Amino acid sequence: MENCRIGVYICMCGTNIAKIIDAEAVKKSVSKLPHVELVETYKYMCSNPGQEMIIHHIKEHKLNRIVVAACSPNMHERTFRAALRKAGINQYLFEMANIREQCSWVHDDPKDATEKAIALTRAAIQRVELHDSLESLSVEMCPTSLVIGGGIAGMTAALELADAGHSVYLVEKNNHLGGNLARVDLTAPYLYSARDLLTERITRIKTIDHIHLHLNSKVTELTGFVGNFRAKIYEQNGKTDGNEKLTEVKIGNVVVCTGYKEFDASRITHYGYGKLPNVITSFELEKMIREGKIETKEGKIPKYVAIIHCVGSRSLEFHGYCSRVCCMTALKYAHEIKSANAKSYISDIYIDMHAFGKGHEDFYRRSSEAKTLFLMYEKNDRPVIRRAGPKDDCEMLIEVNEKLSGETIEIPADLIVLMVGMEAREDSAEVARLVNISQDKEGWFIESHPKLEPVATTTDGIFIAGTCVAPKDIPDTVAQARAAAARILAKISKGKIEVDAIYSEVDPDLCSGCRFCNKLCPFSAIEFDEKEVHSHVIAAMCKACGVCVAACPSSAIKGRHFTDSQVFAQIDGLMEVVHFAE
Amino acid sequence: MEKTKPKIKLAVYWAAACGGCCVSVLDVHEKLFEVVASADLVFWPIALDIKYSDVEEMADGSIDVTLFNGAIRNSENEHMAKLLRQKSRILVAYGSCSHLGGIPGLANFSNKEEIFKRVYEECESTVNRDKIRPQPENKVPEGILELPVFYNDVRPLDRVVEVDYYLPGCPPQTERLVEVFMAIVTGAHLPHKGSVIGAGSKAQCEECARKKTENKQIKKFYRPWEIIDDGITCFMEQGILCMGPATRLGCGHRCIAGNAPCRGCYGPVSDDSDPGTKMMSAISSIIDAKEPDDIEKVLEDLVDTAGTFYRFSLPSSMIRRKMI
Ligand SMILES: Cc1cc2nc3c(=O)[nH]c(=O)nc-3n(C[C@H](O)[C@H](O)[C@H](O)COP(=O)(O)OP(=O)(O)OC[C@H]3O[C@@H](n4cnc5c(N)ncnc54)[C@H](O)[C@@H]3O)c2cc1C
Ligand code: SF4
Ligand code: SF4
Ligand code: SF4
Ligand code: SF4
Ligand code: SF4
Repeated sequence: MENCRIGVYICMCGTNIAKIIDAEAVKKSVSKLPHVELVETYKYMCSNPGQEMIIHHIKEHKLNRIVVAACSPNMHERTFRAALRKAGINQYLFEMANIREQCSWVHDDPKDATEKAIALTRAAIQRVELHDSLESLSVEMCPTSLVIGGGIAGMTAALELADAGHSVYLVEKNNHLGGNLARVDLTAPYLYSARDLLTERITRIKTIDHIHLHLNSKVTELTGFVGNFRAKIYEQNGKTDGNEKLTEVKIGNVVVCTGYKEFDASRITHYGYGKLPNVITSFELEKMIREGKIETKEGKIPKYVAIIHCVGSRSLEFHGYCSRVCCMTALKYAHEIKSANAKSYISDIYIDMHAFGKGHEDFYRRSSEAKTLFLMYEKNDRPVIRRAGPKDDCEMLIEVNEKLSGETIEIPADLIVLMVGMEAREDSAEVARLVNISQDKEGWFIESHPKLEPVATTTDGIFIAGTCVAPKDIPDTVAQARAAAARILAKISKGKIEVDAIYSEVDPDLCSGCRFCNKLCPFSAIEFDEKEVHSHVIAAMCKACGVCVAACPSSAIKGRHFTDSQVFAQIDGLMEVVHFAE
Repeated sequence: MEKTKPKIKLAVYWAAACGGCCVSVLDVHEKLFEVVASADLVFWPIALDIKYSDVEEMADGSIDVTLFNGAIRNSENEHMAKLLRQKSRILVAYGSCSHLGGIPGLANFSNKEEIFKRVYEECESTVNRDKIRPQPENKVPEGILELPVFYNDVRPLDRVVEVDYYLPGCPPQTERLVEVFMAIVTGAHLPHKGSVIGAGSKAQCEECARKKTENKQIKKFYRPWEIIDDGITCFMEQGILCMGPATRLGCGHRCIAGNAPCRGCYGPVSDDSDPGTKMMSAISSIIDAKEPDDIEKVLEDLVDTAGTFYRFSLPSSMIRRKMI
C-alpha cells in the first residue's frame, strides 16, 4: 500500500456540534494517531470554503485519505466525495464520522459526547487507512424498451418512447388494446368519448413500425439488469389452433402498466349481485350505454335507478382505500341515464363525494342541479336491498340510514348500479416476481418513493405507471405513463449507465459452488454459472446490501468498501477509545 | 534420489493431542521405508526413546523438519513448542489441534477451575475425599516433584511460536503427509511461509460428489440418525448440517464419502476466516422462517451448537473462549 497520509476535519456545524462537543479536544486526541498528517476544526465543513480547504490541503500536503467528522453521510458524503474528485484523488478514499446525528444531537453530557466523538473519529481514521481506490462501472444502455400492458397507460408510454424514435415492444395479454377503458363509454368529467381517446392511439400504434405489438401475449421471463435486460414474450394466437410463438428480445428498460381489475360485487352478499337480476355493476351499465339501451333484464326501461358508491372500497372487510374514479363515474351515469330517459328518477347513495380532481367539483355541482336524489350513508352501515312487494310500483327497495337527516329512508329501484372499486389483478404477484418489484398489502406495486419517485421502483430500469400502482383516473394514469417514458428517455440519451463502485464480488478462486448464496439476493443479482460451477454477482444489479457476503461460508464474496478488514479496523478504533476512557 | 545426499533430520512431537496424529504418521505404511531412506528420525516420543534433554543438547536449527501435533494446554506443551521451534528449521503445525486448537480446544468453553472440579471431585468414578488436586510442585522426602502447570486456555501452536506450515486434519490425510515430506526432501518449491499445505484452496463442496442445487432453504434440521439419507443429495439440502461449505478440501472426503456430513477438521478455507462464525452466519441466512418464534423452532433441532460449529476451531476463532 502506498504511504498513507490522512487529513482529518472536525466540523462544528455552527453550534450544532460545537455546543456539546469540544472540537479542539477531538483534534488533540486524534492528531497523534499514525498516518494522520493534519487535523483541522472548522465551523461549516460543507460550505464552499470548507470544501476548498480540503482540496487545497490534498494538493499542498499530498494527502491521500480524508476523514470528515461532521453530520450523517446521508447528508454530505456526496459533497465531500466530490471535493476529493476535484482534488484529483479517488472519491472512495474518504470516510465520514457522524458526530452530529449520532452524537451531539442525542447526548447532553459534553464530556461523554466528546469522548464518543473521539471514538467515532478514531474509528473512521482506522477504517480509511484500509480503503481502496474504486472505479465505478459503466454499462451500455439498450435504447429499446418493453411495455407490459396495453391499456391507456401502456399505449401512452409506448407512443411517447416511439415518438422519440426508439423501438418498443408492447405486450398485451388480451386480443385487443385499450384495457379497461375500452369498456367505458363517456369519460368524466368532460364527457369525452373513451372510444375516441383510444382509437387515435390504437391506430397510431398499429402504424408505427418500431412499435412491436404482441397481442395475446405475456412476458414469461425477464433476466439481466438495467440497460441490458432480456425478455421472453410468449404469444398464443387463438386458444384452439395452438399457434404459439416465443420471441426473445433485448431491452434496456421496462414499464409495467398492467392496470387493475374490478371488485367482485358478489362478495358483498346482501347486495344480491348475481342473485337479483337487476343489480348490476358499473361495467355492465357501461356496456348497456355503449350498446345504446339502458334497460332491465326483462327489457323494460327502468323508472327508478339507484347508484351505490364504494362497493368494495373504503370498507373494513374489503379494501380500505378509495378507488378514486367511482364518484365521478356515478355522476356521469346520472347524466347519461337522464339523457337516455328524461323521465327516470335517479338516487345516488354515497359515503362522501370525492370530487378532488380538476373540473370534478364543477361536475358535481352540475349533476346536483339535474335532480338527482343524493343520500349519504355511514361507511360501515351499508344500504340493504330487498325485492319489492306486488303492490309496489318498483322491482326492489333500498333501505338507507341516511346520515344527513338521521332518518331511515326507503327508496324504490328497478335497476341498481354498484360502483365496483378497483383492485390489483390476480396475477399481479406473478408480474411483481417477474420484474422483481414489491407489492403493498393490497397488491399494488410499490414505487421507490411515494412522493418523489412515483414511477420508479427499487429495481433499476423497471418503472410502473397507471392503475397497477394504485387506483387513479385517466389524467393521472396518462401523466404517470409519460413520466415513466420521460425517465427512460433521459437514461437512453445518456447512452451509458454508471454503476456505483460499491458492490459485491465473488472470488472465483474461493467459491466452491456450495450455492448457499444463490437464492438470497433481494435484487436477483447473483447468477450461478453451471459450466464453471461457481456463483457470480452482476455488479450492475447489486445494491451492496451485504446479505450474500454474510451468507458465504467460504468468505468467497467480498463487499467492496465493506471488507471484513475495513469493518474490523473501524470496530477496533471504537473499542480502543472505550478502553482508554475507562 | 542420490545416495550421497545427506538424510534430513525429522522430529515428530505430540502436545495436547489424542495420539491419532502420531499414529497417522505410521499410517504411511510401506511408504515409511521411503521416508526412512531419506530421513533420520531424531525425536519421536511415541516410537523412540529420546529424552527432552537430548533435544536440548541439539544445535539450534539442526532439526530440518518437526511435525508438531497437539495444542498447547500446559506449561510442558509450551516449553516443548518453544524448544522445538528453536531447534527446527521448519516447524509444521500438524493436525487440527496444533493448527486450530482442535477437539481439546473445546475445553475453552470452561476454565481450569471448572475442569479440575469436575475431574478431581465430581466425576462419578472419582473417589477423592481430601479433594487433592495436582500441584505444579510437590515436596516428598526424595525431593521436589514437578508437574506441568495446567492453563486456563487451550491455544493453537501459532499463538505460542512462529509456525512455518500448517498441515490440517483430524488427523491429516496420510498421502498428503508423504507428498509434503517428499517435497521437502527433494527441495521442491515450497509455498510461502505460513501457508496451509497438503490441502486444497476451496471448500469441500467444490469436489463433493453430492448433487447441489440452489434450494438451500432449511425448514428443519435433522441429525443424521433421524433421517434416511438418499446418498445423492447435498446433506444441507436434506436438512443435515454439513460443515463442508466452510471447510478446506484435502481430506479426500473421508466423512462425506462414508455418508456422514463433514465435521470441519480441515479448518477454514481462507487464512482470515473463522469457520464457526462463517457457518453460523451462513446457516442463519438460509433458515426458511420469518417470525422469531418459527426461527427459534428451526434452531431447536441444532444440538450442541457451539460444539458443532467450533468443533475444531474454537481457540483460533474470533470468540476464542468463554469469558473468564
Ligand atoms: C367503471 C369505471 C369507469 C371509469 N370511468 C372513468 C372516467 O370516466 N374517467 C377517468 O378518468 N377514469 C375512469 N375510469 C378509470 C380508468 O378506467 C383508468 O384510469 C384507466 O383505465 C387505467 O388504465 P391502465 O392502463 O392503468 O389500466 P387498464 O385499463 O387496466 O389496462 C391494463 C392493460 O394491461 C393488460 N395486462 C394486465 N396484465 C397483463 C400481463 N400480465 N401481461 C400483459 N398484459 C397485461 C390488460 O389486459 C389491460 O389491457 C373508470 C374506471 C371504472 C372502473
Ligand atoms: S458538514 Fe454537516 S455538520 Fe458540518 S456544517 Fe455541514 S451540515 Fe453541519
Ligand atoms: S450484496 Fe446484496 S444486492 Fe449485492 S449481490 Fe449480495 S445479496 Fe445481492
Ligand atoms: S455462498 Fe460463496 S462459496 Fe457458496 S456458491 Fe455462493 S459465493 Fe460460492
Ligand atoms: S454441504 Fe456438504 S454435502 Fe453439500 S455439497 Fe457441500 S460438502 Fe457436499
Ligand atoms: S470430511 Fe470434514 S470432518 Fe471429515 S475428514 Fe474431511 S474435513 Fe475432516
